Amino acid sequence: MTLAAQDWTERSRDLARLLARTGLGDRAAFATLYDRTSAHLFAVVLRINRDRGQAEDILQEVYVKVWRAAQTFDAAQSQPLTWLTSIARNRAIDSLRRQQTQPQILSFAATASGDGDAPDERDFHDTVADDAAGPMELLSQASEARALSKCMQVLNPQQRQCVALAFYDGLSHAEVAEQLHQPLGTVKSWVRRGLLALKGCLQSAVVRDAQLDVQRDAQAGQT
Amino acid sequence: MAPGAVSAFGHPGATDMDYSRPDLADRLAADYVAGTLRGPARRRFEALLPAHANLRAAVQAWQEQLMPLTASIPPVQPPPEVWQRIEARLDARAARGRPSTPAAAAAAPQASWWAQLAFWRGLSAFATVAAVGLGLLLAVPEPSRAPVIVVLNAAAAGDAPGVPASIIASISGDGRALVTRPLLNVNVEADRALELWAVPPAGAPRSLGLISAAGATVVRRDQILDGTAALAVSLEPRGGSPTGAPTGPILYVGKLTL
Repeated sequence: MTLAAQDWTERSRDLARLLARTGLGDRAAFATLYDRTSAHLFAVVLRINRDRGQAEDILQEVYVKVWRAAQTFDAAQSQPLTWLTSIARNRAIDSLRRQQTQPQILSFAATASGDGDAPDERDFHDTVADDAAGPMELLSQASEARALSKCMQVLNPQQRQCVALAFYDGLSHAEVAEQLHQPLGTVKSWVRRGLLALKGCLQSAVVRDAQLDVQRDAQAGQT
Repeated sequence: MAPGAVSAFGHPGATDMDYSRPDLADRLAADYVAGTLRGPARRRFEALLPAHANLRAAVQAWQEQLMPLTASIPPVQPPPEVWQRIEARLDARAARGRPSTPAAAAAAPQASWWAQLAFWRGLSAFATVAAVGLGLLLAVPEPSRAPVIVVLNAAAAGDAPGVPASIIASISGDGRALVTRPLLNVNVEADRALELWAVPPAGAPRSLGLISAAGATVVRRDQILDGTAALAVSLEPRGGSPTGAPTGPILYVGKLTL
């Protein structure tokens, strides 16, 4: 189940109201905001930091920050879900700073290797369900939801994989390079090219959607 | 693309970069939002954000583009303890009456935290009551409006000789309280009384009760201002108008100009 861009915007409209009330110190509005957004933010955090306990701590930090910073949220500048997700991602990425060389990334790469008795690995299986989508799947689902798939074909699969691993799973350039067995410099330029292509595709999708809206309005006007 | 730019930024000694260069700002913002900007470089970039509007704008642009892509991640319900811990944190902050430092919160040992759970629960209830009380307090004068002062001048009738200048009525902004005060004492015979009326633009005046001829009188009614075009004071038998409408002469009238 994926959210199209319109859903993102529509959900944001409700959330803007809740966020405004939260900024005024309304605890009930804050509780509703948490109910509506915590499952998404938790999923975002969990992909980047797969340690469930740490992910829970991060989520807690995120919402305490949201409570404190809600006043500074400007609905004219940003969509609420974008703002919230950015806070969650930043906290999650910062949490990796302390343990960049920890084995959760390695176990991610080594899931197919037999030794399932290692405690690390068991933890890993606990946190990530077997049918959890890989980063490539998530990227292609997101692309499909916004009809970007064709546009994204300008990238080769490896370049797309670079972007997906970095963005969804919070892998650093070095970690992506290690996982794909590619030189660091190559990976850096692939990620860069991938992000630019993605931005280009997203921007043209916005233009396309706007044109469709105009056409639809024009047709509606004729009938 | 200038591949040197990012690696120079990544180098700890790089401090003389021109962040106003749009291509550099965009590249750093992309790396920051995508999450590939790490370690000291990420911290340095975050430290630059408050002072560089162009960097903030670039970050914002990338966030608006990339964050909706997270919509394809299947949601994961966090356990209920997370919300309980968030609430406890907020309650603790509210109870202390000042913002807690994250360091202090982090320093609190886990065991004592749970040992104090009952304490937090109690505080939580208190905080809710306090919040409700505060909410009521804030809700009553809703948009806080300035009080309205009405000067009731002696009516031109002239059939009540010796009536002095005027009566001042101040109405609270929320229209729930009114204070009248004659500028000079009014001589009213012992078997007579002054009665205050709210006069609508059309229809019968509404009695606001008797007022003192010598000093201040506080009148409390709901919505004194609603549908009131003027205030008037009439001379009535002791105890007030027997009919519910002014029976004696109107001594004072003051129009509300809102």
